[in-house]
Amino acid sequence: MLKQGAGLAEEDATVKEPLDLIRLSLDERIYVKLRGERELRGKLHAYDQHLNMILGEVEETITTVEIDDETYEEIIKTNKRAIPYLFVRGDGVILVSPPLRS
Amino acid sequence: MIAPKKAAYQGNNPSHIMPSELIDRCIGSKIWVVMKGDKELVGTLRGFDVFVNMVLEDVTEYEITAEGNKRETHMDQILLNGNNIAVLVPGGRPEDG
Amino acid sequence: MASTDGAPEAGSAKTPADFLKSIKGKPVVVKLNSGVDYRGILACLDGYMNIAMEQTEEYVNGQLKNKYGDAFIRGNNVLYISTVKS
Repeated sequence: MLKQGAGLAEEDATVKEPLDLIRLSLDERIYVKLRGERELRGKLHAYDQHLNMILGEVEETITTVEIDDETYEEIIKTNKRAIPYLFVRGDGVILVSPPLRS
Repeated sequence: MIAPKKAAYQGNNPSHIMPSELIDRCIGSKIWVVMKGDKELVGTLRGFDVFVNMVLEDVTEYEITAEGNKRETHMDQILLNGNNIAVLVPGGRPEDG
Repeated sequence: MASTDGAPEAGSAKTPADFLKSIKGKPVVVKLNSGVDYRGILACLDGYMNIAMEQTEEYVNGQLKNKYGDAFIRGNNVLYISTVKS
């Protein structure tokens, strides 16, 4: 199929397939956007091809939109909480962004 | 008699052909794609694969915005994921003429 | 002879694989099933339609919401990948 010739890496720091982007982020803090308006920021300890991930020192942000009963205005609320260590199931992942590299 | 394979779809009786062959005959012609949910696309089919991912050209996307308005977006060329396709109609949308 | 395996004939048809080859390194719009758009430079992608993008901008309802240097988008969320005039 679409598999790019996965040839033996000439250089480990190159991005030949999308998962390389994740591989290069191991032990770095990453941003993960999940279904259900959830976001995680944490240190990537491990991942697999499904994008199941183990993150440490995680900050979870949950965004909710409520409609005010009287004014019908949308009220956007964000709740944050700290989680020391967690497993993310890959099927809920929308986007992963590594830290900015310079 | 099987019609010449690459001829644009001309409204022959398609009852005796395989679904994938029907799509194959649409290559080069307009096709109307109805997605699961309320999104539709019309474009010229350039190719497809076993998952019915499709390359479409000169595409118009029809969707309903969050406010309930209709929106049309034009794009030169796209790869459409086959995963959420509900219905394919050879020849495009009747209302587009 | 007409083939029935669904594989478009090479030459005339532009298969998804051909399309993906042709847009690597180019600016694209990736639209997700949720309606969110990502605009950026396509770095690479795989058979699951997982996508790596650079200089990624996230648009919700047409409004810029976020920017990412690099972004990995999980393929199951992808509705389409579109070329853009740069």
